[in-house]
Amino acid sequence: MRRSATVGRAGTSPVRAYAPIVVTGALVALLPLRYGDSRAMMGVVIGGVLFAAYAVGFNVIFGSTGQLFLCTGALAGLGGYASAILSDRHGIPMVLSMVLAALVAAIAGGLLSWIAVSRSLGVIFTGIVTLAFSLSFQNLLLGQRDLTGGETGLVVDAGSDTFLGEQVAPFYVFVGLVMAYLALYRALQRSHVGWAFRALRDDEIAAELAGVDVKRYRVFAGTLGSGMIGLAGALYAHSERFISPSTFSFGEVDVLVIVMLAFGGIGSLLGPVVGAAAFTVLEEWMVSFNEYRLIVYGAVILALFLFFPRGVVPSVQSLAQRLRRRLGRPASPTAAAGERRADAPGPAASPVGPDVVGSEEVRAGGATPPE
Amino acid sequence: MRAVVFDGVVLGLQFGLLGVGLTLVYGLGGVLNLAHGQLAVLGAIVAALRIDAGASTIAAVLTGLAVAGFVGLALDLTLMRPVYRRVGEDRVLLGLLLMLGVAFIIDGVLEWRYPIEALSLRIGGDPVDILGVRMRTGSLLASAIAVGVGVVLVVFLRYATVGKAVRSVIQDEEGAQLCGVSPATVRAFVFALSGVLAALVAVTRSMTSPVNVNAGIDFTILALIVAVVGGLGSVSGAFLAGVLLGIVNTVSAHYIGTYITTIVLLAAAAVTIVARPSGLLGAGRE
Repeated sequence: MRRSATVGRAGTSPVRAYAPIVVTGALVALLPLRYGDSRAMMGVVIGGVLFAAYAVGFNVIFGSTGQLFLCTGALAGLGGYASAILSDRHGIPMVLSMVLAALVAAIAGGLLSWIAVSRSLGVIFTGIVTLAFSLSFQNLLLGQRDLTGGETGLVVDAGSDTFLGEQVAPFYVFVGLVMAYLALYRALQRSHVGWAFRALRDDEIAAELAGVDVKRYRVFAGTLGSGMIGLAGALYAHSERFISPSTFSFGEVDVLVIVMLAFGGIGSLLGPVVGAAAFTVLEEWMVSFNEYRLIVYGAVILALFLFFPRGVVPSVQSLAQRLRRRLGRPASPTAAAGERRADAPGPAASPVGPDVVGSEEVRAGGATPPE
Repeated sequence: MRAVVFDGVVLGLQFGLLGVGLTLVYGLGGVLNLAHGQLAVLGAIVAALRIDAGASTIAAVLTGLAVAGFVGLALDLTLMRPVYRRVGEDRVLLGLLLMLGVAFIIDGVLEWRYPIEALSLRIGGDPVDILGVRMRTGSLLASAIAVGVGVVLVVFLRYATVGKAVRSVIQDEEGAQLCGVSPATVRAFVFALSGVLAALVAVTRSMTSPVNVNAGIDFTILALIVAVVGGLGSVSGAFLAGVLLGIVNTVSAHYIGTYITTIVLLAAAAVTIVARPSGLLGAGRE
């Protein structure tokens, strides 16, 4: 039990490190047993898994390197529209067009990241620049009718004759995608890249002084995460067979992705999945409230963030540690830190004792440099 | 051309007024008020309801401003308490998420109870010639209010004791506290003020075009962009950014037209931020 806490780091056994991903994937894969008969419910479930994929991509960018990208929807849309247009209009095979679409999104995200990094934009400023990109993209989709179908949207033909056109099969493709993303996230955490991410997230200047090329790692995270988001968007375009500007709008995607990740736990492995699951269930439940749906939704968001300001996954982990300590197992600082520690604080925070680890002091202690 | 620029200034002053409330709250407490636009709409709808009920326009508008200010104050005193106990990035993130929840609630209540309500103030009077450009009285009054509020705010922050207290907290919360300024009181005051300012924008906006129930999100996004381009925490920066973006908006709408205008506006905002990473008149802190 104690060793499992350090699971995110290099040096622990790969089995322990990747087990949570397999278990989560297996649990999620059981869902069609319950909902496989209903086309509508499968749509909801696939939507949830899609958002988990977005949230993991966003976690790579925001959770790992603190770049607030308010353009998840736009990047996914870039992927979705690029893949649809490439395959339907230009006859490029679907798989290849999806790869190209992911590349387009990766390049776009990488560029945004490069701009933000080379001008040392702060969190909020990066947010606004990417938000401007998001809204511009939305307007382009609406304006370029010939290419995108404008407001009415675009019917996507490529893929409908494959298993992606079936009712349950696309679900497993999405689950596979999310598991691959999680494995990638874990692999990053365990590599030298993970160390660099933790160092720069904790104290940018100290990381720079220690020889971490902060800019390069930020741009890398921006590119990789954007590519992941773009690929998920492209896959969704082919499995849903219809896309429109609202499929990828700021209000429909970004707000939800941020809320999901913040609720699940920023910078934690399973946070995006927990958040996506929670909010998919919530949204489904909310449908029955009809006209005062928004009110209930807002109230639930308030309640969730008042009770879990750090996110569910980190909260549960620190609770588990506290319980373990109370049961008389003296936890060493390393063990007590849990995943939170493996993700957020770098060397600077190492002497923290079990009492403060996992609580907000850790994040607060890892002072973010003034922007 | 001159007429187009004038229109841009009129629009820009509204943008500026919109950004001011947001910028003050963020500069002071690190809370990015994502419900700013919703507070504005709330004030406008309250005013519209009062007018429907037969109140005079002035009284109705004052009630709207008061309600928005009161809601701002109430939010600061209740929901924002746990936010202020945090520091740095944690505070920004939690504040933003909680205000997002508030935005949903306000939107939800308004759309549920008053789905078709809208505020539209008709300002009578003939168009006035200014430097050879005929301007509508409504636009002029709206601009006059924006300029007036801007000047009062700048003077107030510079010379009034409470204004100095506000600035001291913006500069250094701990230092201000050591000098006997209570950051909590100042924050509550500014949050209420920001609510009033938000509602005021909705009111002046309604002098040229109706403000309906679901305008909140657009107001919020615009306020965010203006406040950030101007430099978070800077009142004159917000007005400067507002006027600049307003002119860009009307000029491109006039000469290029269509949906490209929005993109030009957003690009202008992005370019300004990239060129001046702390905003036009930002103090260099986030």
